[in-house]
Order: sequence, then structure tokens, then C-alpha cells
Amino acid sequence: MGKYLVKRIVLLIPTLILVCLVVFIMMRCLPGGAVEALLYKLQAAGDTTATTESVERMLGLDRPAVTQFFVWLWGVVRGDLGNCFFQNETVSHCIGRQIVPSLELGFLILIISNLISIPLGVFCAAHQDSISDHTIRIISLLLMSIPVFWIATVVLIYPALWWRWAPPTEYVHFFDDPIRNLKMFIVPAILGAVTNCGMQLRYVRTVTLETMRADYVRTARAKGVPQRKVLFHHALRNAMLPVITLVGGSVAAMVGGSVILESLYSIPGIGALVVTALNNRDYPLVQGCVLVFSFIVMVINVIVDVLYKKFDPRITLE
Amino acid sequence: MTKIKDFCRAKPSAALGAFVILILVFVAIFADVLAPFKMELGTLPSDILFKLKKPYWALSELDKTMEQANGTIYWLGTDNLGRDVLSYLIYGARTSVILCLGVSVLTTFIAVVIGTLSAVLGGWFDLIVQRIVDAFSCIPGMLLSMILMSMVGNGIWQLIFVMSLPGGIGQSRLIRSSVIAVKDAGYCRTSDVLGGGNLWKMLRHVVPNIMPIIIVTAAGGLGGTVMMEASMYGVKVGTPSWGYMITNQGRANMYSAPQLCMFPGICIAVMVLAANLFGDGLRDYLDPKLQGGVGTYDTKKIKKIADKYRKEFEESCRVA
Repeated sequence: MGKYLVKRIVLLIPTLILVCLVVFIMMRCLPGGAVEALLYKLQAAGDTTATTESVERMLGLDRPAVTQFFVWLWGVVRGDLGNCFFQNETVSHCIGRQIVPSLELGFLILIISNLISIPLGVFCAAHQDSISDHTIRIISLLLMSIPVFWIATVVLIYPALWWRWAPPTEYVHFFDDPIRNLKMFIVPAILGAVTNCGMQLRYVRTVTLETMRADYVRTARAKGVPQRKVLFHHALRNAMLPVITLVGGSVAAMVGGSVILESLYSIPGIGALVVTALNNRDYPLVQGCVLVFSFIVMVINVIVDVLYKKFDPRITLE
Repeated sequence: MTKIKDFCRAKPSAALGAFVILILVFVAIFADVLAPFKMELGTLPSDILFKLKKPYWALSELDKTMEQANGTIYWLGTDNLGRDVLSYLIYGARTSVILCLGVSVLTTFIAVVIGTLSAVLGGWFDLIVQRIVDAFSCIPGMLLSMILMSMVGNGIWQLIFVMSLPGGIGQSRLIRSSVIAVKDAGYCRTSDVLGGGNLWKMLRHVVPNIMPIIIVTAAGGLGGTVMMEASMYGVKVGTPSWGYMITNQGRANMYSAPQLCMFPGICIAVMVLAANLFGDGLRDYLDPKLQGGVGTYDTKKIKKIADKYRKEFEESCRVA
């Protein structure tokens, strides 16, 4: 186990370097540059000495691309992601500030959607082809089909018009004022969860049904084990294995995916940060964000594999 | 033909989904005929005097008669440029259908090319390609799409490319693993022995044999594609688009003209629903792992089949 973990973690490094390379190349291929934007900004601020060359030198863009890449990579190795082009901040500080609300939102979405989808999915599987099963499945299909940005817009605007209620737009740290913080997050979290849980519910149902057809479940039934115990002890424990993979995947999707919710509910998250950075061509910031995202995804993949091993002794990790 | 009939009987909800998609394709093809207001030079006729009109049924009697007298009936009202919403939605179906078809085809194509090449050529090529695939699949798809989007610019063909690449790279792993299962089969080795090249082997032996898997992955991703098309909302593709309508007009005029947000939303929901139903059904129908398994566990059916076989058996006994 320990050996396997070490191997996996060592193997993360080449992939991370490759991610760096891919992102770096993609960023340098973007048309339009940060240089012009910054030059314009400086000149507008009354700095007449600024020229294209001086700005380039300031940002470190006058060196050849290969040098730039290795300089950046060496910085990454030392834990220094560089400075933002447009804010007077280091990239790591900027990301560290913005990632907290994003993680909170993702975490809430994950908890709520699992709380909805796993019990209901198991319920559906236990009562297969009953009326409640059909109703829940139809509702989950409908939920899957609603575009999140549409329902988020509707939910944002109508309560405001009808009851003069809107979630607070100013972000407060959770530990400063938990109630106010949750007030802001609860609506987007529920929306994200509701649109996410449809697929998860169907998956949980399918997987549970599959395990309920397994031989060991039949054996348990034949022995006279009560239904509840069969469901929770024999079927559910095995059904949860593929669900772990699914949850891991949705964590990965959530890391970069709630841009829409963040921008609509004015949550100062990392999604909004990436979008502005991308529009500004803030190379180090975008590179840093992508790197952080990819790192999170990779770590989650490793965790999922390890958990799999933990829950299923049949699996041998090479 | 019998296969289609069989499919409809086995998966009625999937058939319904396919029917809705066919209707949408029909609307997309004949948009010029169906739309009450025709597009001219790539834009719908707009009349600022008639902006933000209510849908026809919500009008007062006087307004209804006035619209009839003018000969311009806006069944679903107008947007803030005075364009007919119904026509906009009909032309929007064209964009959605083109995007969905394009993205599905291109995604599958990318996945099959990368997966098959990687698996068949093997060796160093496989190792390098797989590491690149690993790197790409670590970057969240939405983010990758946004970066690519600013790389290639706006437009419908660019959007198709941008939406296909992350999905294609992700799916290529699945294709690769299924190719690996096939490529050492007898017929592939025979082809090698007879001097067939790698390209011949891929096109003639490998790809036809993993066709069900290809179709299943393509169908399974259909709903997600429609949803993603609608969610890439900040993007103006140059043609009427449902997602663009919601974010650019619906949100601003939500209270005065709710139709601008509601109708495109419903259109998207219906299309995603249909695509999901069809995709799921087709996957269940074709996927050998699920054959006779989940969802088709019908005791009546099994009894029927058992009865049929018993009868046949009894008859054969009688004959003997």
C-alpha cells in the first residue's frame, strides 16, 4: 500500500510538468497580448516613459519562450507561481484568496447532492418499478435536463422581484459570520446540487440494482436475512464502490465547473478569477489556476483509487 | 427496419426521445419555411416599434385585432430589438442541431483516432500520447474549452472544435482500452501475417469491431453536449442561439418580458431531455453488459419466453 502510494505520487510529477507545458503553450498561442493592455493602462495613468519594450521587460516577456517556460517551471518547483500582471499580488496569494469560496461552494453542492441522490437511488432500487420509483426517475430526468444557468437566473431574479429577497452579494468569511455566509451560499449550492443529483441518482439506482442481482444477495435472501439487512449490509456496501468513482469525478468537475453559479451569485471564487484572467491575458494567473485545478483533480484520482482498494479487498493495486 | 421496430418496442421512451430529436432536425432543416418571419442576410427582421411585445395569447383583444390587421402576428412576442421570438427559436434550433451533430461526430472521431492509433501502434508512441492524454484530462473540461475558445475565436465551427476536443481526449482512453482487447484477436494477427499494414488493420478490422462501443459512447454523451452548447453562453456564434438568448436578453428583461427567458429555456430542456432519453436507451439497448439486465428485468417477459421454449420443446418431443 505504502509502496503503491509513493509510486502514484512520484508518477504525478511528470504529468504535472506536462500539464505545465500544455498550458504554457496554449497561453502563448492566444491572440492579443497582455503587453498592449498594460501599456495602455500605464499610459492612461500618466506614465509617459512606458514603451512596449519596457513593459515586456517588466513582465519578463522579452526573453525567448523556452527560457520563459523554464523560469516559470523553476518557480513552480520552488512553490512560487509568479506575479499577477494586473494586480499587485503574487499568483499563489490571489488563488489562495479566491479558492476558499469555490471550495466551500463545491463542498456544499457535493454534500447536498449526495444526501439527495444516494438515499433516493437506493430507495428506487429497493422498490423497483413501483409508482414512486417511476416518479422519482422521471423527476431526476427532468432535473438533468434543466440548464443550470437558466434555472439559476430564474431563481435569482423572481424572488427578488416578488418578495424583495435576494441572497447577500457581499462575501463574508465563514468563520466571521457563518449565518450570513451560509445565506449567500445556500441558494447556489442547492441549485448546483439539484442539477447534479439527477445523474447521480440514476447511477446509484443502476448500480444498486446490479448488486441486488448478485449471487451473494440471493444467498443472503435464501438464508432468511431480512430485506433491510440485505439491502444495507450486502447490496449497498458493494454498490457504493462505483459510486465513489462517480463522486470523485463530480468533485473534479466541480473544481472548475461552477463558473456560472459563481458569476451569477457574485461569489468571489476561482471560476470568476480564471475568466477575468483569461480575458486580460494574465498568463501567470491562468497558468497558476490551471495548475492548481489539475493538481486537485490528480490528487482526487489517487484518493479514489486508494479508497477503492480500502473498500474492496478483491482489488489489487499493482 | 426490424431492428428499429425492435428498438422502439424495447425502449419506448428512447424512441420518444429519438422522435423529438427528429422533429428538431426537421425544424432545423426547414427553418426558412416554418419561421413566420424569414431571415434576410443573416439577420431576422427587427422593428424597434414592436419591441418587447407580449405573446399573442396574453394580449388584449384590441391589440390582437391590431396585430391581425397589420398581418404581423408575433405568436410568442418579440425581443428587445423587435424580432419575433418564435422565428428566433426556430432558427436557434438550427444552431443547436448543427452544434450537437458536429460535436458528437468530431468528439467520436477524435476519440477513435487517438485511441486506435495509440493502441495499435503501441510502444513509444502509445506512451507519449497517453501521457499527453493524462495531462489534458486533468484540466477541467470547461476551463480547457474557455482557453481554447479564446485561442480560436468565436463562431460556430470554432465552437464545435472547442467543445469536441476535451471530450474526445477523455473518451479516447475508453476506445484505447477496447481496441487493446480487440487488436490481438485472431483476425488481426492474420492480417499482420498476410502483410496487411497497420492502417489496413485499423480501418478494416479494429474499428468495425469496436463499432458498438463507439456508438454507445457517442450516444451516451449526447445530452451532455446539448447542455454544454447551451452553457457556453457568453459566446456569440453569429446565428440565433437559445443559450445566447437567455443570457443576453432573457436576463435583462426577465420581468417585463418573461417569454425571452422561459421559451428558450424550455426548448433547451426538451432537447436535453430527448437527447438523454435517446442516448440512455440506445446505450442500454446496444451495450452487451447491460443486455437483459438492468431495466429490462421483466418477469412477464421471461415467463413468456420460457413458455415459448417449453412449447417448442414439447412439440419437438412429440415429433420425435
